[in-house]
Amino acid sequence: MLVYTAKRIVLAILVALTISMLVFSLLYLSGDPATALAGESATSADIEKIRHAYGFDRPVWVQYLSWLANAAQGEFGNSLYFRLPVWDLILERLPTTMTLGVSAMSFAIVLAIPLGVLAAMFPNSLIDRAALFMAVVGQAMPSFWFALMLIVLFAFTWPVLPASGSDTWRHFVLPTIVLGYYATPAFMRLTRTGMLDVLSSDYIRTARAKGLRPWTVLFKHALRNAIIPVVSLAAVQFGFMLGGSVIIETVFALHGAGFLAWESISRSDFPTVQAILLLFSLLYIVLTFVADLLNAWLDPRIRVG
Amino acid sequence: MDSIRNRRGGWMGLALLAAVSAASATTLAATSAFAGKADDTLNIAWEREQPTLDYYFQNSREGIIINRHIWDCLLWLDPKSGEFKGLLAKSYKIVDDKTFEFEIREGVKFHDGSTLTADDVVGTIEFLTKPDTGKTQNQPAAWIDHAEKTGPNTVRIFAKETTPLALLYLSADIPIYPMAYYDKVGPEGMGVKPIGTGPYKVTSVEPGKRIVFEKNADYFKDSPKGQPKIGKIVQRTIPDVNTQIVELASGNLDWIFKVPADQAEKLETLPNLVVKPASTMRIGYLTFDAAGRSGENPFQKLEVRQAVAHAIDRQAIADNIVRGGSIVVNSACYPEQFGCTQDVTKYDYDPKKAKELLAKAGYPDGFKTDIYAYRNREYLEPMIGYLSAIGIRTDLHFGKYAATRDAIRSSKVPFAFMTWGSGSVPDVDAITTVFFGGGPDDTSQDADVQKWLAEGASTMNEATRKAAYAKALGKIADMAYWVPLFTYPTNYAMSKSLNWTPTADEIPRFFTASWQ
Amino acid sequence: MSVVSNGLPTAQEIVGPTPGQRLRRRLFGHRGIVVGGSILGVIILMALLAPLIAPYDPYDQILTARIKPPVWYPHGTWEHILGTDQVGRDYLSRLIYGSQISLLIGFFAAALSGLIGTAMGIAAGYFGGRVDLVVTFLITCRLSLPVILVSLAVVAVIGGSLEVVILVLGLLLWDRYAVVMRAATLQVRSLDFVAAAQTVGCSTWHILVSEILPNVMNQLIVVATLEFAHAVLLEAALSFLGLGVQPPLPSWGLMIAEGRNYILFDPWLIAIPGVALFTLLLAVNLLGDGARDVTAPENRG
Repeated sequence: MLVYTAKRIVLAILVALTISMLVFSLLYLSGDPATALAGESATSADIEKIRHAYGFDRPVWVQYLSWLANAAQGEFGNSLYFRLPVWDLILERLPTTMTLGVSAMSFAIVLAIPLGVLAAMFPNSLIDRAALFMAVVGQAMPSFWFALMLIVLFAFTWPVLPASGSDTWRHFVLPTIVLGYYATPAFMRLTRTGMLDVLSSDYIRTARAKGLRPWTVLFKHALRNAIIPVVSLAAVQFGFMLGGSVIIETVFALHGAGFLAWESISRSDFPTVQAILLLFSLLYIVLTFVADLLNAWLDPRIRVG
Repeated sequence: MDSIRNRRGGWMGLALLAAVSAASATTLAATSAFAGKADDTLNIAWEREQPTLDYYFQNSREGIIINRHIWDCLLWLDPKSGEFKGLLAKSYKIVDDKTFEFEIREGVKFHDGSTLTADDVVGTIEFLTKPDTGKTQNQPAAWIDHAEKTGPNTVRIFAKETTPLALLYLSADIPIYPMAYYDKVGPEGMGVKPIGTGPYKVTSVEPGKRIVFEKNADYFKDSPKGQPKIGKIVQRTIPDVNTQIVELASGNLDWIFKVPADQAEKLETLPNLVVKPASTMRIGYLTFDAAGRSGENPFQKLEVRQAVAHAIDRQAIADNIVRGGSIVVNSACYPEQFGCTQDVTKYDYDPKKAKELLAKAGYPDGFKTDIYAYRNREYLEPMIGYLSAIGIRTDLHFGKYAATRDAIRSSKVPFAFMTWGSGSVPDVDAITTVFFGGGPDDTSQDADVQKWLAEGASTMNEATRKAAYAKALGKIADMAYWVPLFTYPTNYAMSKSLNWTPTADEIPRFFTASWQ
Repeated sequence: MSVVSNGLPTAQEIVGPTPGQRLRRRLFGHRGIVVGGSILGVIILMALLAPLIAPYDPYDQILTARIKPPVWYPHGTWEHILGTDQVGRDYLSRLIYGSQISLLIGFFAAALSGLIGTAMGIAAGYFGGRVDLVVTFLITCRLSLPVILVSLAVVAVIGGSLEVVILVLGLLLWDRYAVVMRAATLQVRSLDFVAAAQTVGCSTWHILVSEILPNVMNQLIVVATLEFAHAVLLEAALSFLGLGVQPPLPSWGLMIAEGRNYILFDPWLIAIPGVALFTLLLAVNLLGDGARDVTAPENRG
């Protein structure tokens, strides 16, 4: 287990470093960052002043290392738009995105797992087909369209839920449904497949033959084994959700980190964009790392791989 | 096992369905409609994230609105009589063409309890005339040479040259800051915790997200602005206009503005809302990099610019899409502004002529170009369609205002759809000079035009000014440096319980509002 | 199947159906494939025949005929069956031409990412060792990047257009191809016929293209359909946020974005392209699922 963990840590660090290099180079996609920053009616003297002030006159690898070193301490400089520290801006908005992500994940799991279990228990029945249909529908519906439809229905036609803002738990209901619904099919299929496999295995057949009650069979044995791939999928999906929250946050005016990223991209507020991209990537890396460890602990066969 | 499946399957399904329904049913609790009046809180929303509350470090309409509520200027322009009245100044005197004297009112308090003195006035002006402070609002005080305290309560302001708009700027765009506080906290502090003398004070700020204003109960009684009646104003940033409308319709908001014409018409049909249209000084226009600052581009040729002018059916767009009384404008100014004349070269809608002009300029098959814009995509898209029909294919860069303006100033933009509200200043100097007077926004760099505009700004004589501006506007139209498009009427939508009337300058004054 | 008149079974009947016939039976017996395939077929036909069947030019704007409702609304007319949009363009025509854009984007983005991902996956699965390490590392890096944000950032800088969108999506969506192809190659490479080819002395290239590739094709097709859908969805999302295809192109995603302001009172403007997108994606997903079912383990070899 220790060797496995060590290998995984090394991999995670390498990936993180590569991502940081990619994110850092984003600044140079648009050409000379000093000119972009200098903006209004800048003379070449002004541009040189800015170049020196921000350190763009140093060799690129020096700039990268110093950015990285600062980033490690949470120092990302000031937002070009707000002129406030980027880190503060992100910290202020991160709880909203996290709340959205966690509740969407919970919604997806609460909806998907029972459906998946049912579908596996009664394969090819009406429930199975309905669940599979729901899965396909979920994958075929653009999330922004679904969001707009829900707003029209539940905030306008029958005004029972707020359409924007993030003040109370009720503000998160519609966004959670939209974001969570998109992840539900994957969970449902995985649970269903896992349960189907396990239910038809020798182990279960033996348990049944021994006369154990069907509910015991189901929960104590089958579900436990089927959960394992769901755990790692949860980590992966959470990472995707962070990126995909941009659209939801924009439509519902949830001032989260995803929305800030999108606004910063359109304002060319590079320091903020870099910081958020790095943060989301790191979160994903950490999550998958934890999920890998969890999986390896639950299913020893994985550690050998 | 099969028997168990068959028996339990149906029940299980039902139970699950019931559980899910029950969970969603708990969310069904109706919101109370129009909480606004009930708790004396006006809930407003706008689209843009306000980057800072320090007026001098930002450049948006919303910033102007905030300015009028938190701070006061020395003077105040009475909308009914058109006269300047004293606001923070008890009285004023025009000493000569370049000197103005003000007697500062005594006993006016800032929101933090400190007293306004002549030192704050002088200090504010000093800050504004200092170079290299990084401030964004440069135009309003650019004319000031310096200010002097000439007595315990008197201040003299000296202009660099004769400035016809001096009093206008002093009444609108030069709010007086508490200098002791400002020196201590600087723009970063003022940006999140602003202090002024105005009818509303800011009690909480979530940068870009929400601002809470509370009535300044100690607002000085002699203020011509009136006394604020509504206790609290809560501003939220909601980037999507649909969401704003939904929130307004469901009672979570009491007031929104800039409602597109199509939606405004439909909103009228909702029982609890009222829509009030108003004109503004904003005009839309297409601007070209005629001077070639962004590198060689087709718009350096006069025929190409004229072709664009002929290609677009501005009347059709104004009548069918902008609506609300929008009219086509032909010169680079708002028709009611002082010095604005519509007696210039007009380009009628003639796509055939446009194609001929393009061919004459060497582009018989048209060309591809970038076009930049930051608002009103719904007005731009038909224009793109018209351009496409004569062969000009566009690559749209739709971004935020600040980024677009910066791109133009740093010479990256060959072609853009922009608007300008003139800061609601009713004078050609607030628009034509900005874009043709040789400053950073001047994309045509025409020496003649620059000369005439400078002439117009150098004297207080109205006739001379008008003549100079007419010459400048004439050449601008002849050379098609801009394609002026149409005026921007605007629509305000609000709860019926709100008592408020819009003004023609696009600056809502909530300190004149009250509940029905 | 004919029966010889003397009552004896034909050779065909003795041997049983050929693999081709078996496959066809499976394909047409699977409801998902039939439904999905027919819908996709209709859409492709629509795209190919667009100039013939569209009643109007999709770029023709008639500003006096704005936002006319579809024919089933009280004020709708048969002149514009699906109504007109906010600048008076016929919605039915735009819908028909829009299919071209969605299909183009889905196909080319899936193809580009498929090329990249398959090459990486097969290489990793076949050569193993360091190649595998590098590929796995690259996959992990790619997975850690939030796709939508990165696409937005890139498009914001270099400008949006059909070509840019296809390129960006093609260069970002190769991860699933790589993962699945790697796993599939690992399974196939240990089989007898590969060893046989190696013994005979076939070149590596020959082995990869003629032995491995055909046997992982099934799974490749499944992934391709999924990534096709993924690309179409992402383009719609990018266009919705304003950083995808440019107006006046009739992309369904852009139509939803343009109609967004009218959702409260004229909801058909976004409902119709939304349904179109949904139908396309549904068809592709059904095909993908069907392909997965049909090419399940028994069909190997």
